[in-house]
Amino acid sequence: MKTFLLIVVSLVPLAAAERDMTRELDEVARAATVMLDGDACQRIVTPRALDYMFKKDPNDAWVDGDNYEVNDQAFIAAKKTLIRLSHLAPFPCDVNLWMPIAGHPDKIRVVIRNVNEMSQFWPWGKLYQDMIPQMKQVLETGRRITVAEKPGWVSVLAPVHDSLNATVALVEVVSQTRLDAHENVK
Amino acid sequence: MSLSTKARTLAFAFGLMSGVPLAAQNTGFQLLATPEYLRPDPFGGIVAPDEIATNQIASENGGAGAFSNKLQLEGARGSYVSFHLVVKMSQPGAYTLSLGFDRGQGKLQADLFREWFHFTESDKQYDPDALIPITLPYHSRLPEPDNRIAAQTAQAFWVDLWIPPDAAPKLYVAHAVLEAGEQRSTVSIDLKVLPAVVPDDDVMLMDHNSYGTSWLADDYPSISGKLGDGFFQSDEFFRLIHAYHRIFYEHRGIFHQLGYGHAGKVGPEFAPALGGTGHTRHITDWNLYDRHYGPLFDGSAFAGTRRGAQPIPFVYLPVNPEWPAAFLNWGEAGYEAEFVNVLAEMERHFRDKGWTRTRFEVFFNHKKRYMGFPWDGDEVRFPADNRYFLEYGRLLKKALPPDTPVKFVFRADTSWDMEQQFKDLGGVVNMWVASRDILSWLPRAPAMLHQRGDVIWFYSGPPVVTQPASTITQFPIEGWMWGVGGFVHWLTVGAGSDPWFHFDGGGTALVYSGDRFGIAGPIPSVRLKIQRNAVQELALLASFTKRKPLDELKKETARLYNHTATADWWNPRPAFAAEPTYNWSGTALDAATKPAMSHLEHIDPAAWARVRQYVMRLAAEEPNGK
Repeated sequence: MKTFLLIVVSLVPLAAAERDMTRELDEVARAATVMLDGDACQRIVTPRALDYMFKKDPNDAWVDGDNYEVNDQAFIAAKKTLIRLSHLAPFPCDVNLWMPIAGHPDKIRVVIRNVNEMSQFWPWGKLYQDMIPQMKQVLETGRRITVAEKPGWVSVLAPVHDSLNATVALVEVVSQTRLDAHENVK
Repeated sequence: MSLSTKARTLAFAFGLMSGVPLAAQNTGFQLLATPEYLRPDPFGGIVAPDEIATNQIASENGGAGAFSNKLQLEGARGSYVSFHLVVKMSQPGAYTLSLGFDRGQGKLQADLFREWFHFTESDKQYDPDALIPITLPYHSRLPEPDNRIAAQTAQAFWVDLWIPPDAAPKLYVAHAVLEAGEQRSTVSIDLKVLPAVVPDDDVMLMDHNSYGTSWLADDYPSISGKLGDGFFQSDEFFRLIHAYHRIFYEHRGIFHQLGYGHAGKVGPEFAPALGGTGHTRHITDWNLYDRHYGPLFDGSAFAGTRRGAQPIPFVYLPVNPEWPAAFLNWGEAGYEAEFVNVLAEMERHFRDKGWTRTRFEVFFNHKKRYMGFPWDGDEVRFPADNRYFLEYGRLLKKALPPDTPVKFVFRADTSWDMEQQFKDLGGVVNMWVASRDILSWLPRAPAMLHQRGDVIWFYSGPPVVTQPASTITQFPIEGWMWGVGGFVHWLTVGAGSDPWFHFDGGGTALVYSGDRFGIAGPIPSVRLKIQRNAVQELALLASFTKRKPLDELKKETARLYNHTATADWWNPRPAFAAEPTYNWSGTALDAATKPAMSHLEHIDPAAWARVRQYVMRLAAEEPNGK
């Protein structure tokens, strides 16, 4: 079923504007795979935060988020690279960093978001979420995938490798044909 | 005090001088009144959360219930006196409601609102909250067609009697009249206006927070649908924003709208447009910003209001880690240049415009859990994050002339690390919005902060409609007990996807969109009205410190409100407070705040009525109404 869906997604005809956008985003995504350091990405979220991420406490609804922390220097270095990559596109785009979670192959988490607050996949506020099939495919195959499931949205997903050449993260290079200046201003 | 004495006191506090026996309340056609804290239901009773007081009154007051056909009220000048009118009709049909003063109303004004009965999902009951303005005489029918309650036999109306500061102090007599065909029923209202005048300034500034403006397009489809893409730059859009400021101002409060997201996206109407990078970064266009804020900063947005045209006292700036400096340059000379250039330009613009009465807040709302930035601006839990505040404090100092008449403040909303932040960020952060929980064990903090010139508020959120109506009064009184200057309802415009027929209880709303009723702006709520009345009465109470010690006023107020001593409003500092904040647990935090919070968990419906009675007694003793 998932395979079928992926095929359908890839066969959806894109409008001309989306085709141009997709080409630009794909260029950014290709560069992102080269530029991002997967080892450094793995040092962003602290082990403690990852541990708390799956803790549930009926008396403390915010135990996961309240203990979310990052190594700020690693975060900043990666974020600056993501921002520079986004500037390669001639239109507003975000390059978001996503990572799998060790021991939870069915989950995925966004690690760094950017100033246009765009993502085709992130349910606002989630620390982690169910694995996105296309992201799983990128992590497994190391190949870029274009996703245009939401009307007017295009995301190119691209792998991020570590020094062992393992795919340890991915980027979502994302834009919209019609920007919403007010969405996620909250 | 015996139970019956208590009940009579309660009835007196509520102004119910002539209760209507329960049996008589069931007659087919009646106009009755209830106190503001006893909300009517659509079937002729009182909503369950407020019913306990009804039972007290009924059982100990000769069988008379919470309903009355004769009210004896008193109020100070410069304030509102409020109550509910209830149209009861056992048979469906048309009716007319009117209200008039017998011997001239002088400068008094009456505002009436139809109460919307929300079907609340959590208890499957109808609760009145949204208030739809009506003009008199009001013609309608029961069941009220648009509220769609098939078995409805009662319609409630909120009545505000506004007593201007220059109204003549005397007894005013009014009658509310219900008519249907040959039938007629009246409620007589005696309002004694005292010489005392409620001060213009509040001792507790009630703030009503919100985020962004996208919700306006959703809440006002008749406007946004018509304007389409042009909505967010239209005059109608800015009029809507100003209408929200105005409704809260008219209810003795203020309104905040945060204009950026957790990763730094800024709504175009919340910031001037920027151009250039590094040394060349500068403001290119003030148009949308000035259309948004100009009337708020010069006060013209409030022209024609009863409280007069005044600039808003506080406002968020759009400053965040991505604005005005690009985060790409964080830690480098370019970041400093961009930040300082633009903040300096803003200072000049505000100074040139004469916008010097508003405090402009540099405030960081982001949390690292939303993955935009690597430190918490809001509610710092990890003390290492405080160094970012120090850096922004340095940048701000560099940007602003030391003698500027423009009031920039550095605001921090603080919880976990509050105690340490008060120490480490002294002289940098000078406006604090503190977590209610943690502030509850720092009784010396408010005075210490005031002494060094800082602003100190605290925050929580609106009570839901399924709690007693008087619950909302706990925030102003708690703040006053604590000696803080303001309170923030963290969200007050989010009434849910269908507040009218599938209500979430209103825990994030104190106003509603008027769009459904053809009103291009927000409409108030019962809870907002009750809060306003408490705030005005608190302002009057606090003014009595010139002849009574503050401690004495607080002591008596606490006793009357919830039978506590002033010390009961504070918690002991828990042992874990000495541990690093990142080791604290939310569970332990809840436990530590239980003692004081337990006194506020179940506010009885008459709690503020007793305080009000005390305030009116003191007001009546005031010489010359001053």
